[in-house]
Amino acid sequence: MKNILIFILFTSVSLAQSVKPEDILEKVKNNFSRVNDYEVRVNIKVDVNFLKVPETRAKIFYKKPDKIQLKSEGFALLPKEGLDFSPYSFLEGDYTAIFDKENVIGGNPCYLLKIIPLGDKGDLILSTLWIDKNKYVIRKIESTTKSNGTFTIDLKYDNDFKYPLPSSMVFTFNVQKMQMPKEITGDMTDETNEEKDKQNKSRTTTGKVYINYSDYKVNSGLPDSLFTHEKK
Amino acid sequence: MITLIRIELYKIFKKWRTYIGFMVIAVIVPVINFAMLAEGEKSLDFMTRNLQQSFVFVGNLLNGYLISYFILTSLAVHIPFLIALVAGDLLAGEATAGTYRLLITRPVARIKIVTSKFIAGLIYSNLLVLWLAVMSLGIGILIFGVGELIVIKSSGIIIFAKNDIIWRFIFAYGFAGLSMTVVTALAFFFSSLVENAIGPIVSTMAVIIVFLILSALPIDFFRNIEPYLFTTYMSSWRNLFEDPVDYQAFIKAIAVLSLHIIILFTITAWIFKRKDILT
Repeated sequence: MKNILIFILFTSVSLAQSVKPEDILEKVKNNFSRVNDYEVRVNIKVDVNFLKVPETRAKIFYKKPDKIQLKSEGFALLPKEGLDFSPYSFLEGDYTAIFDKENVIGGNPCYLLKIIPLGDKGDLILSTLWIDKNKYVIRKIESTTKSNGTFTIDLKYDNDFKYPLPSSMVFTFNVQKMQMPKEITGDMTDETNEEKDKQNKSRTTTGKVYINYSDYKVNSGLPDSLFTHEKK
Repeated sequence: MITLIRIELYKIFKKWRTYIGFMVIAVIVPVINFAMLAEGEKSLDFMTRNLQQSFVFVGNLLNGYLISYFILTSLAVHIPFLIALVAGDLLAGEATAGTYRLLITRPVARIKIVTSKFIAGLIYSNLLVLWLAVMSLGIGILIFGVGELIVIKSSGIIIFAKNDIIWRFIFAYGFAGLSMTVVTALAFFFSSLVENAIGPIVSTMAVIIVFLILSALPIDFFRNIEPYLFTTYMSSWRNLFEDPVDYQAFIKAIAVLSLHIIILFTITAWIFKRKDILT
Protein backbone atom coordinates (compact mmCIF):
# COMPACT_ATOMS: atom_id res chain seq x y z
CA MET A 1 0.00 0.00 0.00
CA LYS A 2 2.79 2.35 0.99
CA ASN A 3 4.66 1.59 -2.22
CA ILE A 4 1.54 2.31 -4.27
CA LEU A 5 1.11 5.68 -2.59
CA ILE A 6 4.75 6.60 -3.17
CA PHE A 7 4.39 5.54 -6.83
CA ILE A 8 1.27 7.73 -7.30
CA LEU A 9 2.95 10.73 -5.64
CA PHE A 10 6.08 10.29 -7.75
CA THR A 11 4.02 10.01 -10.95
CA SER A 12 2.04 13.19 -10.09
CA VAL A 13 5.15 15.22 -9.38
CA SER A 14 6.82 13.89 -12.52
CA LEU A 15 3.77 14.71 -14.57
CA ALA A 16 3.64 18.23 -13.18
CA GLN A 17 7.29 18.74 -13.90
CA SER A 18 6.97 17.25 -17.36
CA VAL A 19 4.21 19.69 -18.32
CA LYS A 20 6.03 22.84 -19.21
CA PRO A 21 3.67 25.83 -19.47
CA GLU A 22 5.99 27.58 -21.93
CA ASP A 23 5.72 24.62 -24.31
CA ILE A 24 1.94 24.62 -24.07
CA LEU A 25 1.76 28.34 -24.80
CA GLU A 26 4.19 27.97 -27.67
CA LYS A 27 1.99 25.30 -29.21
CA VAL A 28 -1.07 27.53 -28.82
CA LYS A 29 0.75 30.42 -30.49
CA ASN A 30 2.04 28.18 -33.28
CA ASN A 31 -1.47 26.84 -33.84
CA PHE A 32 -2.83 30.35 -34.14
CA SER A 33 0.09 31.56 -36.28
CA ARG A 34 -1.50 29.69 -39.21
CA VAL A 35 -4.03 32.55 -39.20
CA ASN A 36 -2.49 35.54 -40.98
CA ASP A 37 -5.76 37.39 -41.22
CA TYR A 38 -9.46 36.81 -40.98
CA GLU A 39 -12.75 38.52 -41.56
CA VAL A 40 -15.81 37.32 -39.65
CA ARG A 41 -19.45 38.29 -39.19
CA VAL A 42 -20.49 38.73 -35.59
CA ASN A 43 -23.85 38.84 -33.90
CA ILE A 44 -23.65 40.68 -30.59
CA LYS A 45 -26.11 40.50 -27.73
CA VAL A 46 -25.45 42.62 -24.65
CA ASP A 47 -26.90 41.68 -21.27
CA VAL A 48 -26.01 44.39 -18.74
CA ASN A 49 -28.70 45.62 -16.43
CA PHE A 50 -28.03 49.35 -16.87
CA LEU A 51 -27.33 49.12 -20.59
CA LYS A 52 -30.05 48.30 -23.12
CA VAL A 53 -28.67 47.75 -26.58
CA PRO A 54 -30.41 46.09 -29.51
CA GLU A 55 -28.88 42.92 -30.95
CA THR A 56 -26.33 44.11 -33.46
CA ARG A 57 -24.44 42.73 -36.40
CA ALA A 58 -20.94 43.75 -37.30
CA LYS A 59 -17.74 42.52 -38.93
CA ILE A 60 -14.40 42.00 -37.26
CA PHE A 61 -11.21 42.20 -39.29
CA TYR A 62 -7.93 40.86 -37.95
CA LYS A 63 -4.41 40.89 -39.31
CA LYS A 64 -1.42 39.37 -37.59
CA PRO A 65 0.03 40.31 -35.18
CA ASP A 66 -2.06 43.06 -33.66
CA LYS A 67 -4.31 44.79 -36.19
CA ILE A 68 -7.99 44.51 -35.40
CA GLN A 69 -11.00 46.48 -36.57
CA LEU A 70 -14.69 46.44 -35.80
CA LYS A 71 -16.93 47.66 -38.59
CA SER A 72 -20.67 47.96 -38.77
CA GLU A 73 -23.25 49.68 -40.92
CA GLY A 74 -25.06 50.71 -37.78
CA PHE A 75 -24.18 50.76 -34.14
CA ALA A 76 -22.14 47.95 -32.62
CA LEU A 77 -20.64 47.56 -29.19
CA LEU A 78 -18.09 45.06 -27.94
CA PRO A 79 -16.14 44.73 -24.71
CA LYS A 80 -12.57 45.87 -25.30
CA GLU A 81 -11.01 42.63 -24.09
CA GLY A 82 -13.42 40.59 -26.17
CA LEU A 83 -12.53 42.17 -29.47
CA ASP A 84 -9.29 40.24 -29.91
CA PHE A 85 -9.21 36.64 -28.74
CA SER A 86 -5.84 35.79 -30.28
CA PRO A 87 -3.31 34.28 -27.88
CA TYR A 88 -0.93 37.14 -28.71
CA SER A 89 -3.24 39.63 -27.00
CA PHE A 90 -3.10 37.70 -23.72
CA LEU A 91 0.55 36.72 -23.96
CA GLU A 92 2.24 39.98 -24.86
CA GLY A 93 5.16 41.37 -22.94
CA ASP A 94 7.16 39.52 -20.29
CA TYR A 95 5.32 37.11 -18.08
CA THR A 96 5.70 34.08 -15.90
CA ALA A 97 3.60 31.06 -16.74
CA ILE A 98 2.77 28.44 -14.14
CA PHE A 99 1.10 25.12 -14.75
CA ASP A 100 -1.60 24.68 -12.11
CA LYS A 101 -3.48 21.49 -12.92
CA GLU A 102 -5.54 19.69 -15.49
CA ASN A 103 -9.20 20.38 -15.76
CA VAL A 104 -12.19 19.56 -17.92
CA ILE A 105 -14.31 22.23 -19.61
CA GLY A 106 -17.38 21.27 -21.62
CA GLY A 107 -16.08 17.72 -21.91
CA ASN A 108 -12.68 18.90 -23.17
CA PRO A 109 -9.64 18.07 -21.06
CA CYS A 110 -7.60 21.22 -20.52
CA TYR A 111 -4.38 22.45 -19.01
CA LEU A 112 -4.92 25.22 -16.49
CA LEU A 113 -2.15 27.81 -16.66
CA LYS A 114 -1.60 30.96 -14.65
CA ILE A 115 -0.01 33.90 -16.44
CA ILE A 116 1.52 36.60 -14.29
CA PRO A 117 2.76 39.67 -16.21
CA LEU A 118 6.13 40.95 -15.08
CA GLY A 119 6.58 44.62 -14.32
CA ASP A 120 3.80 46.97 -13.27
CA LYS A 121 3.22 48.98 -16.43
CA GLY A 122 0.40 46.95 -17.92
CA ASP A 123 -3.20 46.79 -16.81
CA LEU A 124 -3.27 43.02 -16.40
CA ILE A 125 -2.62 41.56 -12.96
CA LEU A 126 -3.25 37.86 -13.50
CA SER A 127 -4.68 35.64 -16.23
CA THR A 128 -5.85 32.06 -15.97
CA LEU A 129 -6.02 30.14 -19.24
CA TRP A 130 -7.74 26.85 -19.90
CA ILE A 131 -6.00 25.33 -22.89
CA ASP A 132 -7.39 22.32 -24.73
CA LYS A 133 -4.95 19.44 -24.27
CA ASN A 134 -5.61 17.92 -27.66
CA LYS A 135 -6.26 20.86 -29.94
CA TYR A 136 -4.16 23.59 -28.26
CA VAL A 137 -6.82 26.25 -28.38
CA ILE A 138 -7.86 28.52 -25.54
CA ARG A 139 -11.23 27.40 -24.13
CA LYS A 140 -11.53 29.86 -21.30
CA ILE A 141 -9.75 32.92 -19.97
CA GLU A 142 -10.19 34.55 -16.61
CA SER A 143 -8.27 37.79 -16.20
CA THR A 144 -7.99 40.35 -13.45
CA THR A 145 -7.13 43.89 -14.46
CA LYS A 146 -6.30 46.99 -12.46
CA SER A 147 -8.89 49.20 -14.09
CA ASN A 148 -11.83 46.92 -14.88
CA GLY A 149 -11.73 44.13 -12.34
CA THR A 150 -12.14 40.53 -13.42
CA PHE A 151 -13.54 39.31 -16.69
CA THR A 152 -14.11 35.83 -18.08
CA ILE A 153 -14.16 34.73 -21.69
CA ASP A 154 -15.67 31.35 -22.62
CA LEU A 155 -14.86 30.26 -26.14
CA LYS A 156 -16.61 27.54 -28.10
CA TYR A 157 -15.31 25.98 -31.29
CA ASP A 158 -16.86 23.89 -34.02
CA ASN A 159 -15.99 20.20 -33.65
CA ASP A 160 -14.08 19.99 -36.89
CA PHE A 161 -12.53 23.41 -37.06
CA LYS A 162 -9.70 23.99 -39.52
CA TYR A 163 -8.37 27.11 -37.83
CA PRO A 164 -8.38 27.87 -34.07
CA LEU A 165 -11.15 30.46 -34.41
CA PRO A 166 -14.18 30.27 -32.13
CA SER A 167 -17.79 29.95 -33.20
CA SER A 168 -19.06 31.74 -30.13
CA MET A 169 -17.88 33.67 -27.12
CA VAL A 170 -19.49 34.58 -23.83
CA PHE A 171 -17.82 37.53 -22.17
CA THR A 172 -18.62 38.05 -18.50
CA PHE A 173 -17.33 41.19 -16.82
CA ASN A 174 -17.74 43.77 -14.09
CA VAL A 175 -18.52 47.29 -15.08
CA GLN A 176 -19.13 50.42 -13.05
CA LYS A 177 -22.65 51.74 -13.21
CA MET A 178 -23.05 55.03 -14.99
CA GLN A 179 -23.39 58.07 -12.77
CA MET A 180 -24.72 60.89 -14.87
CA PRO A 181 -25.66 64.29 -13.45
CA LYS A 182 -29.41 64.92 -13.75
CA GLU A 183 -28.72 68.21 -15.50
CA ILE A 184 -27.32 66.19 -18.41
CA THR A 185 -29.92 63.46 -18.44
CA GLY A 186 -32.78 65.92 -17.89
CA ASP A 187 -34.22 63.29 -15.59
CA MET A 188 -35.45 65.54 -12.83
CA THR A 189 -37.75 63.07 -11.13
CA ASP A 190 -36.66 62.88 -7.54
CA GLU A 191 -35.57 59.47 -6.33
CA THR A 192 -36.86 58.16 -3.08
CA ASN A 193 -34.30 57.38 -0.41
CA GLU A 194 -34.96 53.69 -0.99
CA GLU A 195 -34.03 53.99 -4.66
CA LYS A 196 -30.87 55.94 -3.81
CA ASP A 197 -29.77 53.27 -1.29
CA LYS A 198 -30.38 50.59 -3.89
CA GLN A 199 -28.20 52.44 -6.41
CA ASN A 200 -25.44 53.14 -3.88
CA LYS A 201 -25.24 49.47 -2.90
CA SER A 202 -24.69 48.25 -6.46
CA ARG A 203 -22.22 50.67 -8.09
CA THR A 204 -20.46 47.78 -9.86
CA THR A 205 -22.57 45.36 -11.83
CA THR A 206 -21.91 42.15 -13.74
CA GLY A 207 -22.68 41.97 -17.41
CA LYS A 208 -22.52 39.45 -20.20
CA VAL A 209 -21.98 39.82 -23.90
CA TYR A 210 -22.84 36.94 -26.22
CA ILE A 211 -21.02 36.92 -29.54
CA ASN A 212 -21.65 34.49 -32.38
CA TYR A 213 -19.07 34.25 -35.14
CA SER A 214 -19.97 33.09 -38.63
CA ASP A 215 -18.69 33.18 -42.21
CA TYR A 216 -15.01 33.24 -41.42
CA LYS A 217 -12.78 34.22 -44.34
CA VAL A 218 -9.28 33.25 -43.31
CA ASN A 219 -6.04 34.25 -44.98
CA SER A 220 -7.74 36.18 -47.76
CA GLY A 221 -5.01 38.84 -47.80
CA LEU A 222 -6.62 41.77 -46.03
CA PRO A 223 -5.04 45.12 -46.88
CA ASP A 224 -3.62 47.37 -44.15
CA SER A 225 -5.92 50.15 -45.29
CA LEU A 226 -8.81 48.34 -43.57
CA PHE A 227 -7.23 49.02 -40.20
CA THR A 228 -7.08 52.80 -40.38
CA HIS A 229 -8.42 53.61 -36.90
CA GLU A 230 -8.12 50.71 -34.55
CA LYS A 231 -4.60 49.40 -33.80
CA LYS A 232 -3.60 48.04 -30.44
CA MET B 1 -67.97 77.32 -37.24
CA ILE B 2 -65.29 76.76 -39.89
CA THR B 3 -65.71 80.37 -41.01
CA LEU B 4 -65.34 81.59 -37.45
CA ILE B 5 -62.19 79.55 -36.98
CA ARG B 6 -60.80 80.88 -40.26
CA ILE B 7 -61.49 84.43 -39.11
CA GLU B 8 -59.79 83.82 -35.77
CA LEU B 9 -56.78 82.25 -37.47
CA TYR B 10 -56.59 85.26 -39.78
CA LYS B 11 -56.60 87.54 -36.75
CA ILE B 12 -53.88 85.49 -35.06
CA PHE B 13 -51.59 85.38 -38.08
CA LYS B 14 -52.20 89.04 -38.87
CA LYS B 15 -50.32 90.01 -35.72
CA TRP B 16 -46.54 90.14 -35.89
CA ARG B 17 -46.14 88.69 -32.41
CA THR B 18 -47.49 85.38 -33.71
CA TYR B 19 -44.37 84.94 -35.77
CA ILE B 20 -42.02 85.45 -32.81
CA GLY B 21 -42.36 81.80 -31.84
CA PHE B 22 -41.66 80.54 -35.34
CA MET B 23 -38.70 82.89 -35.73
CA VAL B 24 -37.24 81.93 -32.35
CA ILE B 25 -37.39 78.26 -33.26
CA ALA B 26 -35.99 79.00 -36.71
CA VAL B 27 -32.99 80.66 -35.07
CA ILE B 28 -32.43 78.48 -32.01
CA VAL B 29 -32.61 75.10 -33.70
CA PRO B 30 -29.89 75.80 -36.31
CA VAL B 31 -27.75 77.44 -33.62
CA ILE B 32 -28.01 74.33 -31.45
CA ASN B 33 -27.21 72.12 -34.44
CA PHE B 34 -24.13 74.11 -35.38
CA ALA B 35 -23.00 74.16 -31.75
CA MET B 36 -23.32 70.37 -31.68
CA LEU B 37 -21.39 70.20 -34.95
CA ALA B 38 -18.54 72.02 -33.23
CA GLU B 39 -18.73 70.44 -29.78
CA GLY B 40 -21.05 67.49 -30.11
CA GLU B 41 -18.33 64.82 -30.25
CA LYS B 42 -16.78 66.12 -27.04
CA SER B 43 -20.18 66.15 -25.32
CA LEU B 44 -20.92 62.63 -26.48
CA ASP B 45 -17.48 61.44 -25.36
CA PHE B 46 -18.12 62.96 -21.96
CA MET B 47 -21.54 61.32 -21.69
CA THR B 48 -20.23 57.91 -22.72
CA ARG B 49 -16.86 58.02 -20.95
CA ASN B 50 -17.82 55.28 -18.47
CA LEU B 51 -18.97 53.10 -21.33
CA GLN B 52 -15.76 53.73 -23.27
CA GLN B 53 -13.69 52.40 -20.37
CA SER B 54 -15.08 48.92 -20.90
CA PHE B 55 -16.38 48.90 -24.47
CA VAL B 56 -15.35 49.73 -27.99
CA PHE B 57 -18.19 50.88 -30.17
CA VAL B 58 -18.77 52.02 -33.70
CA GLY B 59 -21.71 53.79 -35.26
CA ASN B 60 -23.12 57.23 -35.83
CA LEU B 61 -24.40 58.12 -32.36
CA LEU B 62 -24.10 61.86 -32.95
CA ASN B 63 -26.99 62.01 -35.38
CA GLY B 64 -30.14 63.99 -36.08
CA TYR B 65 -32.18 61.90 -33.67
CA LEU B 66 -29.90 62.68 -30.74
CA ILE B 67 -29.94 66.39 -31.52
CA SER B 68 -33.75 66.38 -31.81
CA TYR B 69 -34.07 64.54 -28.51
CA PHE B 70 -31.76 67.06 -26.90
CA ILE B 71 -33.76 69.99 -28.33
CA LEU B 72 -37.03 68.47 -27.12
CA THR B 73 -35.57 68.14 -23.61
CA SER B 74 -34.13 71.63 -23.52
CA LEU B 75 -37.06 73.67 -24.75
CA ALA B 76 -39.63 72.41 -22.23
CA VAL B 77 -40.01 75.81 -20.50
CA HIS B 78 -39.37 78.08 -23.46
CA ILE B 79 -42.05 76.82 -25.82
CA PRO B 80 -44.87 77.46 -23.28
CA PHE B 81 -43.84 81.13 -23.21
CA LEU B 82 -44.15 81.34 -26.99
CA ILE B 83 -47.59 79.71 -26.74
CA ALA B 84 -48.79 82.03 -23.97
CA LEU B 85 -47.67 85.01 -26.06
CA VAL B 86 -50.48 84.31 -28.52
CA ALA B 87 -53.04 82.41 -26.44
CA GLY B 88 -53.04 85.11 -23.75
CA ASP B 89 -54.08 87.64 -26.38
CA LEU B 90 -57.01 85.69 -27.78
CA LEU B 91 -59.69 87.25 -25.56
CA ALA B 92 -57.83 90.02 -23.77
CA GLY B 93 -56.65 91.31 -27.14
CA GLU B 94 -60.26 91.98 -28.16
CA ALA B 95 -60.68 94.12 -25.04
CA THR B 96 -57.43 95.97 -25.71
CA ALA B 97 -58.49 96.63 -29.31
CA GLY B 98 -61.97 97.66 -28.20
CA THR B 99 -63.62 95.08 -30.45
CA TYR B 100 -65.33 93.02 -27.76
CA ARG B 101 -68.74 94.62 -28.22
CA LEU B 102 -68.43 94.48 -31.97
CA LEU B 103 -67.60 90.80 -31.69
CA ILE B 104 -70.48 89.72 -29.49
CA THR B 105 -73.15 91.88 -31.06
CA ARG B 106 -72.88 89.71 -34.14
CA PRO B 107 -75.62 87.07 -34.49
CA VAL B 108 -73.27 84.32 -33.30
CA ALA B 109 -73.64 82.54 -29.98
CA ARG B 110 -70.96 83.39 -27.44
CA ILE B 111 -70.16 79.72 -27.01
CA LYS B 112 -69.33 79.53 -30.72
CA ILE B 113 -67.15 82.60 -30.50
CA VAL B 114 -65.17 81.29 -27.54
CA THR B 115 -64.90 77.80 -29.07
CA SER B 116 -63.65 79.13 -32.39
CA LYS B 117 -61.07 81.27 -30.59
CA PHE B 118 -59.91 78.31 -28.56
CA ILE B 119 -59.65 76.06 -31.62
CA ALA B 120 -57.67 78.74 -33.44
CA GLY B 121 -55.32 78.98 -30.46
CA LEU B 122 -55.05 75.21 -30.42
CA ILE B 123 -54.16 75.20 -34.13
CA TYR B 124 -51.49 77.83 -33.55
CA SER B 125 -49.87 75.95 -30.66
CA ASN B 126 -49.84 72.66 -32.55
CA LEU B 127 -48.45 74.39 -35.64
CA LEU B 128 -45.64 75.73 -33.48
CA VAL B 129 -44.87 72.25 -32.17
CA LEU B 130 -45.01 70.89 -35.72
CA TRP B 131 -42.59 73.62 -36.80
CA LEU B 132 -40.26 72.61 -33.94
CA ALA B 133 -40.48 68.97 -35.07
CA VAL B 134 -39.78 69.78 -38.71
CA MET B 135 -36.89 72.11 -37.87
CA SER B 136 -35.19 69.92 -35.29
CA LEU B 137 -35.56 66.60 -37.11
CA GLY B 138 -35.10 68.13 -40.56
CA ILE B 139 -31.99 70.16 -39.85
CA GLY B 140 -30.60 67.49 -37.50
CA ILE B 141 -30.90 64.73 -40.07
CA LEU B 142 -29.61 67.00 -42.85
CA ILE B 143 -26.45 67.86 -40.94
CA PHE B 144 -25.82 64.74 -38.87
CA GLY B 145 -27.65 61.99 -40.73
CA VAL B 146 -29.49 59.18 -38.99
CA GLY B 147 -28.32 56.44 -36.70
CA GLU B 148 -29.11 54.78 -33.42
CA LEU B 149 -30.45 56.98 -30.64
CA ILE B 150 -28.58 56.96 -27.35
CA VAL B 151 -30.67 58.07 -24.39
CA ILE B 152 -28.76 58.53 -21.17
CA LYS B 153 -30.80 58.43 -17.99
CA SER B 154 -29.61 58.54 -14.42
CA SER B 155 -30.47 54.83 -14.20
CA GLY B 156 -28.58 53.74 -17.31
CA ILE B 157 -28.17 53.95 -21.04
CA ILE B 158 -30.65 52.89 -23.69
CA ILE B 159 -29.69 52.62 -27.33
CA PHE B 160 -32.60 52.43 -29.75
CA ALA B 161 -32.21 50.74 -33.13
CA LYS B 162 -32.48 52.99 -36.19
CA ASN B 163 -35.82 51.55 -37.23
CA ASP B 164 -37.25 51.92 -33.72
CA ILE B 165 -36.98 55.67 -33.35
CA ILE B 166 -39.17 57.70 -35.69
CA TRP B 167 -42.46 56.42 -34.30
CA ARG B 168 -41.31 57.49 -30.83
CA PHE B 169 -40.66 61.00 -32.09
CA ILE B 170 -44.03 61.14 -33.83
CA PHE B 171 -45.83 60.28 -30.62
CA ALA B 172 -43.50 62.48 -28.54
CA TYR B 173 -44.23 65.52 -30.66
CA GLY B 174 -47.92 64.61 -30.65
CA PHE B 175 -47.80 64.53 -26.86
CA ALA B 176 -45.87 67.82 -26.84
CA GLY B 177 -48.76 69.28 -28.88
CA LEU B 178 -51.18 68.09 -26.18
CA SER B 179 -48.98 69.61 -23.43
CA MET B 180 -48.88 72.92 -25.25
CA THR B 181 -52.66 72.77 -25.66
CA VAL B 182 -52.89 72.76 -21.85
CA VAL B 183 -50.74 75.90 -21.83
CA THR B 184 -53.06 77.38 -24.47
CA ALA B 185 -56.09 76.54 -22.36
CA LEU B 186 -54.50 78.08 -19.26
CA ALA B 187 -53.50 81.28 -21.06
CA PHE B 188 -56.95 81.40 -22.67
CA PHE B 189 -58.56 81.10 -19.25
CA PHE B 190 -56.48 83.99 -17.85
CA SER B 191 -57.25 85.94 -21.00
CA SER B 192 -60.98 85.73 -20.24
CA LEU B 193 -60.47 87.41 -16.88
CA VAL B 194 -58.61 90.55 -17.90
CA GLU B 195 -58.51 93.17 -20.60
CA ASN B 196 -54.79 93.31 -21.22
CA ALA B 197 -52.75 90.51 -22.86
CA ILE B 198 -49.67 91.02 -20.65
CA GLY B 199 -51.47 89.73 -17.56
CA PRO B 200 -52.41 86.34 -19.03
CA ILE B 201 -48.95 85.84 -20.55
CA VAL B 202 -47.15 86.56 -17.29
CA SER B 203 -49.69 84.63 -15.20
CA THR B 204 -49.40 81.55 -17.40
CA MET B 205 -45.63 81.54 -17.17
CA ALA B 206 -45.77 82.22 -13.43
CA VAL B 207 -48.08 79.24 -12.88
CA ILE B 208 -45.86 76.93 -14.95
CA ILE B 209 -42.65 78.08 -13.26
CA VAL B 210 -44.10 77.87 -9.75
CA PHE B 211 -45.51 74.39 -10.41
CA LEU B 212 -42.14 73.24 -11.78
CA ILE B 213 -40.34 74.61 -8.73
CA LEU B 214 -42.79 72.96 -6.36
CA SER B 215 -42.35 69.64 -8.20
CA ALA B 216 -38.56 69.87 -7.90
CA LEU B 217 -38.50 70.55 -4.15
CA PRO B 218 -37.64 67.41 -2.15
CA ILE B 219 -40.28 68.04 0.52
CA ASP B 220 -42.91 65.44 1.30
CA PHE B 221 -45.77 67.95 1.30
CA PHE B 222 -45.04 68.94 -2.28
CA ARG B 223 -44.57 65.33 -3.31
CA ASN B 224 -48.16 64.72 -2.23
CA ILE B 225 -49.54 67.49 -4.44
CA GLU B 226 -47.23 66.70 -7.36
CA PRO B 227 -49.69 64.23 -9.00
CA TYR B 228 -52.25 67.04 -9.17
CA LEU B 229 -50.03 69.51 -11.00
CA PHE B 230 -50.29 69.42 -14.79
CA THR B 231 -46.58 70.25 -15.14
CA THR B 232 -45.80 66.82 -13.67
CA TYR B 233 -47.23 65.22 -16.78
CA MET B 234 -45.95 67.64 -19.40
CA SER B 235 -42.66 65.79 -19.79
CA SER B 236 -44.30 62.37 -19.96
CA TRP B 237 -43.23 62.14 -23.61
CA ARG B 238 -39.99 60.80 -22.07
CA ASN B 239 -41.85 57.56 -21.35
CA LEU B 240 -41.70 56.91 -25.08
CA PHE B 241 -37.92 56.82 -24.84
CA GLU B 242 -37.85 54.04 -22.26
CA ASP B 243 -37.41 50.35 -22.88
CA PRO B 244 -40.01 49.00 -22.33
CA VAL B 245 -42.37 51.92 -22.82
CA ASP B 246 -44.56 52.58 -19.80
CA TYR B 247 -47.81 52.86 -21.75
CA GLN B 248 -49.89 53.02 -18.59
CA ALA B 249 -48.08 56.14 -17.35
CA PHE B 250 -48.23 57.64 -20.82
CA ILE B 251 -51.97 57.09 -21.20
CA LYS B 252 -52.52 58.43 -17.68
CA ALA B 253 -50.61 61.59 -18.63
CA ILE B 254 -52.75 62.01 -21.76
CA ALA B 255 -55.90 61.61 -19.67
CA VAL B 256 -54.79 64.10 -17.00
CA LEU B 257 -53.75 66.73 -19.54
CA SER B 258 -56.94 66.24 -21.56
CA LEU B 259 -58.95 66.69 -18.37
CA HIS B 260 -57.10 69.92 -17.63
CA ILE B 261 -57.91 71.19 -21.14
CA ILE B 262 -61.59 70.31 -20.79
CA ILE B 263 -61.90 71.88 -17.33
CA LEU B 264 -60.01 75.06 -18.25
CA PHE B 265 -61.98 75.52 -21.47
CA THR B 266 -65.30 74.85 -19.72
CA ILE B 267 -64.55 77.46 -17.06
CA THR B 268 -63.40 79.93 -19.72
CA ALA B 269 -66.54 79.36 -21.79
CA TRP B 270 -68.73 79.83 -18.70
CA ILE B 271 -66.93 83.07 -17.77
CA PHE B 272 -67.19 84.39 -21.32
CA LYS B 273 -70.86 83.45 -21.59
CA ARG B 274 -71.68 85.36 -18.43
CA LYS B 275 -69.22 88.19 -18.98
CA ASP B 276 -70.59 91.68 -18.82
CA ILE B 277 -68.81 93.55 -21.60
CA LEU B 278 -68.43 97.13 -20.50
CA THR B 279 -65.66 98.32 -22.84
